[in-house]
Amino acid sequence: MFWPDQKSLSDLGLVGIDKELEEYHDQNNSATTADDEGLCDNPQSQERPKQSRPKTQARETSPQWFTTPQSIRRLFDKFPLRIYSLNELPQRSPRNRENNTLWIFTTNEGAQLGAPSFNPGCLKWQAYMIFKGIDFVTISSNNHASPTGALPFLLPASSTKNPLEAVLPIPSTRIERWVREKKVNTEKTGRPSDEGLEARNQHVEASVSTKQKSISKESLDMRYEAYMSLPNYRIRNAYVGPISIPHEIVEITAMRSQLYSLYLSPPNFASIVLPLYVNPSTSNTLARVALSHQLRAAAETELLKQSPIIDVEATYRDCDKAFEALSELLGDDEFFFGEEVPGLFDACVFAYTHVVLDEDLDWKHTRLREGLEQYGNLVEHQKSIVEGWFGDNASGRSRSHKKA
Amino acid sequence: MADPLDSGDDIFDRLKKGVDPKLQEEKTRLANERELAQVEKAQRRLGELIQDNSTLPTTISSIRILNATNTRKGFLDRIFNPIISANQDRPYTLAEAIREVSIGADKLHKLDVFHEPISLFIDRPSHTDPSMTPTDIDIYLSVVEKSRFKFKTGTDIGNAEGSAYVHGLARNIFGGAESLNVNASFGTRTRSAYQASFETPILSNPDLRWEFGGLASSTQKPWSSHEEVLKGGWTKLRWMALGGGMHELGYNGVWRQITGLASNASPTVRRDAGDSVKSSLTHTWVKDRRDNPQLPTRGYLNKSTLELAGWGPLQGDVAFGKAEVEAQGAIPVPIPGVQGESGVSLTTGLRAGLLYPLPLGTEAESKPSRINDRFQLGGPTDVRGFRLSGLGPRDGSDSLGGDVYAAGSANLLFPIPRVGKDKPFRFQLFANGGRLLALKKSEIEGTDGEKVKQTLSPTIAELGNGLPSMAAGFGLVYAHPVARFELNFSLPLVLRRGEDGRKGLQFGIGINML
Repeated sequence: MFWPDQKSLSDLGLVGIDKELEEYHDQNNSATTADDEGLCDNPQSQERPKQSRPKTQARETSPQWFTTPQSIRRLFDKFPLRIYSLNELPQRSPRNRENNTLWIFTTNEGAQLGAPSFNPGCLKWQAYMIFKGIDFVTISSNNHASPTGALPFLLPASSTKNPLEAVLPIPSTRIERWVREKKVNTEKTGRPSDEGLEARNQHVEASVSTKQKSISKESLDMRYEAYMSLPNYRIRNAYVGPISIPHEIVEITAMRSQLYSLYLSPPNFASIVLPLYVNPSTSNTLARVALSHQLRAAAETELLKQSPIIDVEATYRDCDKAFEALSELLGDDEFFFGEEVPGLFDACVFAYTHVVLDEDLDWKHTRLREGLEQYGNLVEHQKSIVEGWFGDNASGRSRSHKKA
Repeated sequence: MADPLDSGDDIFDRLKKGVDPKLQEEKTRLANERELAQVEKAQRRLGELIQDNSTLPTTISSIRILNATNTRKGFLDRIFNPIISANQDRPYTLAEAIREVSIGADKLHKLDVFHEPISLFIDRPSHTDPSMTPTDIDIYLSVVEKSRFKFKTGTDIGNAEGSAYVHGLARNIFGGAESLNVNASFGTRTRSAYQASFETPILSNPDLRWEFGGLASSTQKPWSSHEEVLKGGWTKLRWMALGGGMHELGYNGVWRQITGLASNASPTVRRDAGDSVKSSLTHTWVKDRRDNPQLPTRGYLNKSTLELAGWGPLQGDVAFGKAEVEAQGAIPVPIPGVQGESGVSLTTGLRAGLLYPLPLGTEAESKPSRINDRFQLGGPTDVRGFRLSGLGPRDGSDSLGGDVYAAGSANLLFPIPRVGKDKPFRFQLFANGGRLLALKKSEIEGTDGEKVKQTLSPTIAELGNGLPSMAAGFGLVYAHPVARFELNFSLPLVLRRGEDGRKGLQFGIGINML
């Protein structure tokens, strides 16, 4: 049934109530889609919310003080007299609705090849999803597109072909949960994971081994989450024993040093930030200048949030300490905590080390890289992930970057 | 009561015994008519006088503009110097002289720096001056300058939007009828808008103006779940064509940002989120021959808009050619048995537009259109009976807009009984419809130009595929001098799936309605 008509029925009321009704529809709509998304592997559950929708609306949308007489309602139901099929979508609309899409900072070519993102925040989740054997495609995007104001975010595959069904985005903070729920759903239904079958060959193995390990892995992931929930300062103070390094601390120190190194060190800004973050947004010089200024100011406020002054030496020193601790933690293992397949912690460390070590990123001010290169096992860790999990795609970004 | 009016008293007396207000009304009407007749007679007499002397040789020795204290002499000279006889090779006749001067006075009017009316006096110079010739006359134009600064604050409610505004206007800044407009408004939908523009006539010609300005605004677009932030500037040259049409040629440079997406924004809107710079040339031509722009009963309006963005040296991030045409016509409908104007009229309107993607600068591939460049259709001011931007392609709950559209409307307007045809109220019956389509995705390989052409023709053919999306209804129209208000009841007749028709009442305010 064509449900917008059902809702238009209510328009017989006055204009004033319109907004209220629309809000109600929105809620109803999003509630349904949230439902869909949670149960997206269960085809039966799809029908339930949809069927109940018109009924609820007929009841809810007639305000108490005004009820449409039955005869008029029946007459109205006849309209519109004719409904044709959908209008086609514009050319720029993303078509791959049947895939999970991860929206990240990357180049257009990099997005097609699934190359690693040049943004640590995006790369972390991109790597994590690859580790977990989720099949997805990447889309080159920017922060304006994100529901949280920062990339990445995930648009789960639409279970129906109908483009009128909205799919709600999953912000980065909920990707881990989404992945876990997806796994649980897949295991519950006992079906082999679609993702596993369709995944690129190198991931099939991973997905199988992930499943075997999933229980122990999850408990480990939970433990990280517990670390993360601790207030920052306590983590900082507890930052002694190598085993208690939560990725929060890695992120903070690595992010601080990278923020500084990328945005506030003019040579790196010109050689990395401008071509990767600013120039793809617009070709206009004035707009680029304004955007660069905004980026730098944002990085500065971010750094000043954590300490009243930006102490360059301390920032690099902290970073070096973090690398040292991480290197000690990793030891001679291939992945952190002696796992056979990498997990969220590996994704997190890799996201930073890859961006620092990536040969294709033109670091003019190489202090971070030099610092990191002292820890051979971290470099190995990065290399084995790039080669083992990103395969040939690793250089996709750089190729297009060089072309540009 | 003694009747001060003349001859036909006895009739009035008889009437007076009847219904008093009726008599009063009649009396005023007669008095008005008489007054009008007298004015006409005086005019005619003056006309005859001038007519009689129309061939009298006349030379204008001087033109004086009185009270124009803030207006530059050089600026006025450019209007009146050519008229002065010293600059003419032959003497005027009186009629010619008066015509020339009134053309000059008319220009003063159009400059919008003087109050109306501008009074004109003719004087013969005293013959004490030996340089005088007997045919000399002096012209005096007495003007009152409008206030130089105007400042206004207020609130507006309309089109589902409430806003507060501050408006400042500085007139005649450098004494050459230049004006500076500054606007700031804050509203529920247009979150904030700042705009400043400077306009000046060129060579004292009120029909040739140059304008430049800048704006910064942030507007909610709830129909496609985003907020658009604009920063930019423009410059325009505006002139009147001989046939009565108005031309405008301009350049726009705008930095647009699609941001603040709603949580349920569709992938298409997310894809278009972010920055883009539009650098475009525009040309607008309008010819308005309607008797009343808000409630026309006869006449027509033709309008065309062309825009070229991003092509060749224009640069920017978007490239397209955009053309839009609009035609509106109104004819009075005679009712058998009713003398004169019946007040019933039929208006029809037609709009169509096309966005043609072009390659940017020297690139080979053409750029597909973005949401902020595509057309939107639907709503109380164009296709009634649909929600705002309710027509066209949709993704989730978002209206995506289209690259090609056509819309038409027919309205039959009736005067309301007891209100009459002279009041700006009408009852209307209407039917309107349209299609809004996105260019199809190209499936063929080939050069870029071929590809675009290949997608264009099936899209245009699609316009005629099936009935257009339509709605019909009836309602009330009130034509305020500034805008037209409509309250309509309508039902959608034909829809595409996903299009947002509206059953029931719809309220609309618009300046330019279809």
